[in-house]
Amino acid sequence: MTIRSQLLKGILEGCILAIISKETVYGYELAMKLQQHGLDVSEGSIYPLLLRLQKEKCIEGEMRKSANGPNRKYYKLTTEGENALEQFKQNWQRLKLPVDQLLKEEG
Amino acid sequence: MNADSLITENNEKRKQLNNENKKIYEDMLIYIRLAYQKSEQETEEILMELLDHMLIMQEQGNDISGLVGEDPKQYADEIIDELPKSLTKKRVELLFMGLFHFFGVSMLFTGLIQSVMYYGFGRWEGTKTYYLGSGAVLSILSVGIVFAVVYFCIEYLKWTCFKNMNRILDFILSGFIFGILPFSVFLGIYYFMPEFGPSVTVPIYSLILIGILFLGVGIWLLKKGKRGRE
Repeated sequence: MTIRSQLLKGILEGCILAIISKETVYGYELAMKLQQHGLDVSEGSIYPLLLRLQKEKCIEGEMRKSANGPNRKYYKLTTEGENALEQFKQNWQRLKLPVDQLLKEEG
Repeated sequence: MNADSLITENNEKRKQLNNENKKIYEDMLIYIRLAYQKSEQETEEILMELLDHMLIMQEQGNDISGLVGEDPKQYADEIIDELPKSLTKKRVELLFMGLFHFFGVSMLFTGLIQSVMYYGFGRWEGTKTYYLGSGAVLSILSVGIVFAVVYFCIEYLKWTCFKNMNRILDFILSGFIFGILPFSVFLGIYYFMPEFGPSVTVPIYSLILIGILFLGVGIWLLKKGKRGRE
């Protein structure tokens, strides 16, 4: 995997945790929410990440009936997921400012 | 929901896909299910999620390449990479289930055919002599052949996914690789194997009883495995 896609996946994972921390969602909903926030990622890219986050026990999925019929797998955050999200927020803050500044100087 | 009911639901729901999308989805479905070392429950859950997602996209008139990308096989590989492995205990149970079925069925049939020939037509012999040495080697070799056939069969099916194979070619090729070839090897080994080791002679009807016993254990393991998934 290239560094570029590693970096993007890491950031996307953090964003997924952030969305799930606010409400339980199912796959399609999650993809829509990411797009609403302007994160223009391929809709498919969330599923491998959801599987990985489940393996790392950051999120839990549960199959249940949705309001309009079919069974859907809803994801919610675990305590470990909350910690991971907190970690991501800190890392992001630490990274964001210096990178922004660096790019400003460059420009 | 357990894996079995997810499979049933998937079979029904999949019919709503249009032909083009169905081809892509079913190739992915077969390809992902063939990753036999992965947890069946998780496999069926992600397959259902992908199907639901595709159905919504189709309903809204969107192209499903937005979900699976330009290369569905590569996307399926990404999914398989992230799927958790099934438990070792389950895999061992599955192995023994296969072995008991294999030996059960082969003994049952040998016993039945010989009994019919002997008691019905007065042909062949009423007893069967096993040489423990050559018997053990034959058993190990035949199990080896069966596993090799299953393994190559799975690899072959994976290889045919996402391809437009010529049906006649596929039929001839798979018939040869998985039917004629292993059967000839098996017959060859059986024919040329010298008899060695202490011998045991058993009446042929006892093969039927042992066969039923083995098959019973195999079926019990199968049911146990299914219950474990609920």
